[in-house]
Amino acid sequence: MIRFLLRRLLWFVITLFVVMSVSFVLMRSVKGGPFDNERVLDEVIQRNIEARYNLDWPLWKQFLQYVGPINLDDDGARWFVRDEEGFHLAKGLHWFQDGKLLVQDPGVDAFTGVLAGDFGPSFRYKDWTVNEIIAQSLPISALLGMVAMMWALSLGISAGIASALRPGSKLDLSMRLAATAGIALPNFVIASFLIILFVFLIPLFPVAGWGTLRHMILPGFCLGLVFAAYIARLTRTGMLEVLSQDYIRTAHAKGLAPRTVIMRHALRGGILPVISYLGPATAGILTGSLVIESIFFIPGTGSHFVNSATNRDYTLSMGVTILYTVLVYTLNTLVDLAYTFLDPRIDLESK
Amino acid sequence: MASEENKRWDLGGAQDAKRLLRESKAHKGESLWTDARRRLRRNRAAFWCLVFLFVFALFSFLAPLLPIPSPKALDTSAGTALEPAWPWTTPHLAGEWDPDTFPNDADVAPGVLPSRAYGNLLNDGWRHQTVLRFHQESADIPPEPLLDWVEGVAGRRARVGSLRPDKEGGYLRYLCLPLDRDDAPRVDFEPTGVSGELLVWRFPLAEAPPGRPAFGVVYDLNLPEGLPPLERVGVEARTRRIELFLTPAERPAGVSGMAYRATLPRHIEGSAALVLVNGVGYPVEGGPPLPAAAAKLDLVLAPAQELRGIEHEGLVDRLRAAAPPPPGATLEGATHENGYWELGAIDNWMLRARVALFGSWQTGNWMGTDEKGRDLFARIVWGSRTSILVALAAGACSLLIGVIYGAFSGLMGGRIDNVMMRIVDILYSVPFIFVVIFLITIVNEYRTELEDVYGIDREVIFFIVIGAIYWLTMARVVRGQVLSLKNSEFIEAARIMGASTPRILFGHIVPNVLSVVIVYLTLTIPAVMLFEAFLSFLGLGIEPPKVSWGLLANDGTKAINPLKIYWWLVVFPAAAMGSTLLALNILGDGLRDALDPKLRGKD
Repeated sequence: MIRFLLRRLLWFVITLFVVMSVSFVLMRSVKGGPFDNERVLDEVIQRNIEARYNLDWPLWKQFLQYVGPINLDDDGARWFVRDEEGFHLAKGLHWFQDGKLLVQDPGVDAFTGVLAGDFGPSFRYKDWTVNEIIAQSLPISALLGMVAMMWALSLGISAGIASALRPGSKLDLSMRLAATAGIALPNFVIASFLIILFVFLIPLFPVAGWGTLRHMILPGFCLGLVFAAYIARLTRTGMLEVLSQDYIRTAHAKGLAPRTVIMRHALRGGILPVISYLGPATAGILTGSLVIESIFFIPGTGSHFVNSATNRDYTLSMGVTILYTVLVYTLNTLVDLAYTFLDPRIDLESK
Repeated sequence: MASEENKRWDLGGAQDAKRLLRESKAHKGESLWTDARRRLRRNRAAFWCLVFLFVFALFSFLAPLLPIPSPKALDTSAGTALEPAWPWTTPHLAGEWDPDTFPNDADVAPGVLPSRAYGNLLNDGWRHQTVLRFHQESADIPPEPLLDWVEGVAGRRARVGSLRPDKEGGYLRYLCLPLDRDDAPRVDFEPTGVSGELLVWRFPLAEAPPGRPAFGVVYDLNLPEGLPPLERVGVEARTRRIELFLTPAERPAGVSGMAYRATLPRHIEGSAALVLVNGVGYPVEGGPPLPAAAAKLDLVLAPAQELRGIEHEGLVDRLRAAAPPPPGATLEGATHENGYWELGAIDNWMLRARVALFGSWQTGNWMGTDEKGRDLFARIVWGSRTSILVALAAGACSLLIGVIYGAFSGLMGGRIDNVMMRIVDILYSVPFIFVVIFLITIVNEYRTELEDVYGIDREVIFFIVIGAIYWLTMARVVRGQVLSLKNSEFIEAARIMGASTPRILFGHIVPNVLSVVIVYLTLTIPAVMLFEAFLSFLGLGIEPPKVSWGLLANDGTKAINPLKIYWWLVVFPAAAMGSTLLALNILGDGLRDALDPKLRGKD
C-alpha cells in the first residue's frame, strides 16, 4: 500500500511538472504580451504593468517564480516613475494629494508560486488573484459535480439493476438503447431540450443562476446523464456476471428474500466495475461542467476557465488546468484505493 | 495404437510434414473477415446504421449539388428566425420566377425575402447576386425609376432592396441583380505568368483620422513584362492580405469583367494612398495625401494573377458609361455576394452541375431559418461536412500515431515498452480538454502567421490537435494486442513452420491487429465528433461564416428565451447530431461484437 502510494506520488510529481512547464512555456512563447492593445500605452504604464506581473524578468526566473515555492521578488512591489533623468525604480511609493494619503503602496505583494499553492494574479480580472477566483468558484463547481454524481449513480445503478434482472426483456432493450443515446448525445443538446421542456413549457425550474436547490437539479441532471448511461451499462454487465455465480444460487437456496440476495450479495460484486469507473467519471464531470456552467450561467470554475481561454487570461487558465490535473489525479488514486477495500482480491503492488 | 498416434505427430521426416500441410489445407477454416461480415449482417441494428451512415455521408458530400438554399448569411441585419415552412401548409411561389407576382417590396433587404415552401434561386436563398449601392439625399425618392434605369442598362430583372441612412446624413438605397439561370457562379483565377516585384512604402500621417491607421501606404509595383494600358487600379484590404486589382482598359470579347490581381500575403497597417505601376501613379480613392518623403518597407509580390468571370466591374462600368441615373441618386459602388465560402474544384464543379440540373429552383425553408435568415436545413447539411471532415481527419491522425506508437512499443517489449507505456499513463492522467482549450487559445495567437507563412489553416490545426489526443487508447489497445499475439501459439507455429518475419508480421499480426483497430476507430469517430461539437460550442472550434454542428447547437441554445421558443433551432440540429452519433455508436458496438466475439455484451 505504501509502495503503491509512493509510486503514485512519484508519477504525480512528474505529471505535474510536465503540465506546469509545458503550459508555462506555451504561455510565455506567445508573441506579444497579454496586455498588448491597439492603443499604444504610455511607456511608464507599460513598464509598471510588466513589473507588476514580473514580465521584465528573464524567462528562467519567471519560471522559478511561477513554480515556487520561493519568492524571488526581493524588491516587493516595484514601480517605475519617470522624471527628467529618465526611468527609475521607486520603492514604497505613496501617493499624496493635498497632504492626504490617497494610495499607499501595498508593499510586498508576494507571489510565492504554484508549489506554495499560489497561482499568481489574474491577467484580466484586475485586483483579483487566481486563488481568489478559484476559491470563490470551486465550491459551486464541486456542489454541481456532486449533484451530477448523485444523479448519475442513482439513475445508472437502478437502471442497470433493473435491466440485469430481466436480460433480453423489453425493459432491458429500451434501457440499453436509452443508455447508448445518453452516451451519444452531447450534454448541451440534452440541456437545451430540457430547458425548453421544464423551464418554458412546464415551468418547474428557474432558467439560470445559482443558489437554491431548484437551481441545481436541472444542470446536475444534464451533467450526470452521460455518466448515468455508462454506469447503467457497467452495472448491467457486472450484475449479469455476478448473478450467474454459485454463491448467489446458494443464497437463493437458503431461502433468502430476492431483494436481500440482490441488495446484499449481488450488488457488492456487481458494482465493482462502477467503482473503477468513478475516476474517469469524476474527470468527465469536471470537464463537462465547462459547457453546463456556461449554458446555465453558473459562476463556477468551468465557466471561468472558458472565459479565461477566450479572454487570453493565461494565468487563470493555467491555474485551472493545473488544479484540475491535481484533482483528477488525486481522485483516481482514491478510487484505486477504494477498489482494494471493496475487492480484497486486487493487489495494488503487483499492478 | 499408441505407436500409431506417436507416429502421426512425429515431424521427423519430410513425408510427415507434407502430410500435415495437406491435412491443414483440407481443414481450411473461415477467415476472420468472412466470419465478421456474417456476424455483422446478422446484427440488424448495426447493419441499418451502416446503411444510414453511408447515405448520410453521400448526402453531405453532395451538398453543393443539392438544390438547397445558401448556408451563409450575407445580410446580417435580417429579422427574426422563420418557422419551418412545410410544403403542404404554406402557399408557395411558382417554381420559376414570375416578374409580375414577384414582390418588389421596399422593406425587403437584399437577399432576405423569405422563400416559402418552394423557394427560388432568384428569390432569395442562393444569394449569388450583385448588390448595387446608390447614394441619395432624401428618403422620399421612389425606387422605381432607379430600378428601370438599372434594368435597362443591365438587361435583366433587378430587385429593390432596403433603404438605410448612411453616415453623411444621406441614405443608401440597395438594388440587387440576382444571377440568371445561365450564370454559372464562378470567378476563375488563372495564372498569367506575369510576375514582378512589389515594394511597399509606408509613411506616418500627420493627422491620423480617429479609429483609422496612422500610416499611409504607397504600393510600388514593377512588372518586367509590360501590362496592357490600365484603366483603374483598386486596393482591397482583406483581413489577412491585401489585393491589388489592375483593370485593363480593353477586355477580350466575351469576358464581362477582368482584372489582374496581385496578392500581398500579409496585411500592412495603413491606408492606401497611391499605387505605382511601372512608374505610373494611380491615386486611390479616399486615400490620404502624399508626403514629401516616405520610409521604405520591402515586400516581394506574389505572382500576379488574371481574374476573369462574372464580376460586378463589368456591370458597374456599363452603368457608369450609360446615361446618368434618375435625379437624386448617384451610384456609389457594387459588391458581389457569393452564397458560399471558398470551395474546392470538385465542389465548384458540383455547383455548376446544380445550376445545370435544377436551374433556379431550390427548396424552401423546410426546417426554418435562424435569426440571420439562413436556411437551417442547408446549414445542417453543410455543417455535417465539417463534422465528417473533423472525424475523418482526427481519426486518421489518431490512427497513425496510435498504431505506430503501440506497435513499436509492443514489438520492442522490455524496458522500451515500459517507458513508452508510462508516458501514455502520464498523458492519461492529464485532463485533456483543459489542455486542448489552452493549446487552441495559444495557437490562435499564431494563426495569421501560420496561415500566411505555412499555409496552415486554423481548421487543420484543430484537426491535428484533436487527433493528437485521441491516440492514447489506440496505442494501448494496439500494444496489448501485439504483445499477446507475439507470444501466441499460432505465431509460434508459423515460426516453426519456417515463415519469414515479414510473413508473420503481415500475414498474421497485421490482420489480427486490424480488427481491433477498426473497432476502436469506429468508437473514436463519434467521440471526436462530440469533441468538435463541444469545442465549437464553446467558441473555440470552427468559426463563422463556416458552420459545424457544434455551432448550430450553440446558436440553438442562444436562441432559447422565454418570449418565443425557437424550437426548430434546437430540435433539428440535435436530431441530426444525435442520430448520427447514435448510429456510429451502435455500429461501433456491432463491429466490436462481430470482430471480437469474446467481448460480446461487455462494455
